[in-house]
Amino acid sequence: MGAVVGQALLEAAVLVAAVTALALPFSNYVVKAMEGCPMTARRVLGPLERGCERLVGADDEAPMGWKRYLLCALALTAVGCAGLFGILLLQGVLPANPEELPGLPADTAFNVAASFATNTDWQAVAGESHLSYFSQAVGLTVENFLSPAVGIAAAFALMRGLWSRGGEAVGNFFVDVTRALIYVLVPLALVGCIAGMAEGIPQTLEPYETVQLIEPVAVDGEGNVVAADDPSAVRDVTEAVVPLGPQASQVSIKQIGTNGGGFNGANSASSLENPTPFTNLLQCGAIMLLPLTLIFCFGRMVADRRQGRALMAAVLALLGVGVTALIAAEFAATPQLSDGGAVYTGNVGQSAGNMEGKEVRIGTGATALWTALTTAAANGSSNGSLAGLTPLGLVVPLVFMGVGEVVGGGVGTGLASLLGFTILTVFIASLMVGRAPEYLGKKIGPAEMRLAVVMAVAPSLLMLAGAAVLVLVPAAAQTVGGGGPEGFANAFYAAVSTGANNGSALGGFNADTPWANGVLGAEMILGRVVALGCTMALAGRFAACEPAAQATGSLSTASPLFVVLLMVIVVLVGALTLVPALALGPVALAVG
Amino acid sequence: MKANGVGSALGRATALFLVATLALGIVYPVAMCGLAAVAFPWQATGSVIEVDGVKYGSALVGQPFAEPGHLWGRPTVADAGIFTAQDGSPLLWYGPENLSPASDEFAERVQARVESVRAATPEAGDEPVPSDLVTVSGSGFDPHISPAAAEYQVGRIARATGRSEDEVRSIIRGCTERPLLGVIGEARVNVLEANLMLDGVLDAPPNR
Repeated sequence: MGAVVGQALLEAAVLVAAVTALALPFSNYVVKAMEGCPMTARRVLGPLERGCERLVGADDEAPMGWKRYLLCALALTAVGCAGLFGILLLQGVLPANPEELPGLPADTAFNVAASFATNTDWQAVAGESHLSYFSQAVGLTVENFLSPAVGIAAAFALMRGLWSRGGEAVGNFFVDVTRALIYVLVPLALVGCIAGMAEGIPQTLEPYETVQLIEPVAVDGEGNVVAADDPSAVRDVTEAVVPLGPQASQVSIKQIGTNGGGFNGANSASSLENPTPFTNLLQCGAIMLLPLTLIFCFGRMVADRRQGRALMAAVLALLGVGVTALIAAEFAATPQLSDGGAVYTGNVGQSAGNMEGKEVRIGTGATALWTALTTAAANGSSNGSLAGLTPLGLVVPLVFMGVGEVVGGGVGTGLASLLGFTILTVFIASLMVGRAPEYLGKKIGPAEMRLAVVMAVAPSLLMLAGAAVLVLVPAAAQTVGGGGPEGFANAFYAAVSTGANNGSALGGFNADTPWANGVLGAEMILGRVVALGCTMALAGRFAACEPAAQATGSLSTASPLFVVLLMVIVVLVGALTLVPALALGPVALAVG
Repeated sequence: MKANGVGSALGRATALFLVATLALGIVYPVAMCGLAAVAFPWQATGSVIEVDGVKYGSALVGQPFAEPGHLWGRPTVADAGIFTAQDGSPLLWYGPENLSPASDEFAERVQARVESVRAATPEAGDEPVPSDLVTVSGSGFDPHISPAAAEYQVGRIARATGRSEDEVRSIIRGCTERPLLGVIGEARVNVLEANLMLDGVLDAPPNR
């Protein structure tokens, strides 16, 4: 078993190393694109960029202060949320609805709209059975582009603030979003879409396909499959459905933009969305590409690439611990699966370990790796059923989400919360060595600290509050389903996932109920607004602060010691908040 | 419009949203549909295996198999209550099991599956049952089974179909895909393709 785990870890290390190596040169391109520098791509796409800016009215607006920037970011999020809400409500009368699906109820539409506008992509309902092609393409795909573009814009505003030599301006929001779309998100989405289509992801506006079952099955009155000789069997089903639609165009941006919402309910476990090991590899790499790229961008933007490398080291080290733990737990499987030796869980002719909830073409190791990456980056897509994870394997995604988008995090917002934790660490470390706290030459005062603390603690508070409502309010607890440790784990996971703007879910949770839709929708919106608000306020404060000359012997924020300290603070502040709740859910499952 | 007011922020946000909706919500997906229809017509419409006008299923979507002469795939949790055909008859679709592999209910289900697989496959004797034959996949419609799980069933299929074990193995081999570059992904047997070959519907797996 050790050799199997070793090989899976080696494959994981190679993939993460390859994505990191790609992120390094790519960060140079992204910085040039976002800062308006001359480059080859701009010579080609420049007219398009200027045309879009003129159309939006962004070209005549001066660089914005942080308040104006935040207002514009919230305005775009709100408009997107409202637009999507309207599309989902009116789905029944809108075109491109070959399955004639009705509009969503208001609570579901609110939840889905909040979810996709905030880059969470929590899915209260399965796409293939509830959403029309119009809702998917015109509704969800657009938010899949806009929400990460808002994240990239906010991250660049914060980086400009940190580099600023005094003054108010942090950038022009609409110019930033336009550049993020034209130069970063759209080209990557096109490449991913074409590769996906070639490998077999459907991309069509034709209605769903109906196919013959080779072996018809008997069903009871409620549509459940039963044995042919079962007395409750009422009829034979002879045909099956193959859901289609413009899937490839959405799947590629779902991964690149750390969105994670699947076209289908099964997300990338579905062989329609993720048909081959090659698409699995591409999508798995795409999850981490932009979060890691933005960390390198940070080093370039503050003209000290050691700072970016230090943050990268902390992120990769935390990632390494989580990936190793998750892979080891899944290969160890559970006694319930081995059934006293009657079930073979070795690696001869098959994938070893816990195959419950996993696909044969992907296997145990690659599913475990994806699960770690998708919850470290606030992506939330899945290539297996998370409910099928071993209890100890389940701890890793919960901790990654619980620390609040730090280990990669969502596009843009991840870098911002990592910088929040960095400021916290600088403050604590400086006090330990008796120096005035400063980061990159900028003084860290009480106001900066307040913002950093809110950034670090707010996600955990939101998660715990959401979980408390879902578990303690009787009306809510009854509808979301499941008692005991498993039911608690389901509700807790949902609250953590939405609070972290992640969106992954345990399948046993009854997501499409008014209580769950309301509580989780509110969590997603609050999580995003607090993150954007703190990010922009920090950007503004740093922008206005003129950097002091570096004092000799001041704390080095690029040293290995600082990296270790940063990791300790992340684990202490972020993860420890959740330990009691973890003990009630997955840990109780593991020992019970 | 005041340059710094809420109104101008909302106005510009709305303009950006509308431009993005047109370009990314309509032009992009429709253009990709057009490209797919020309460059990847089979994949674009669900990789459906069609022989003499009969659509036997998608190469990417598993089906439930329980006859002794067929290769069995992953257990499915099928539901006929979600989709209906034009004439109102129910259509089968699938979902995951959503059980913790540490739960008692999971243990009971695995035990029951082991018993039914062993009862149908006496040729394999007391050999441990490959895990993918008794666990539900992440999607619930995994189109593949591992080579170990296919080999486990060779004796039964040969008995039930009257073919030799070598013939059955050669069909399974023909429907087996290897890991990319030898390491990426897992070796896997496409269950629907193997069964269409066992039934004599297909002479060879559809070209990939």
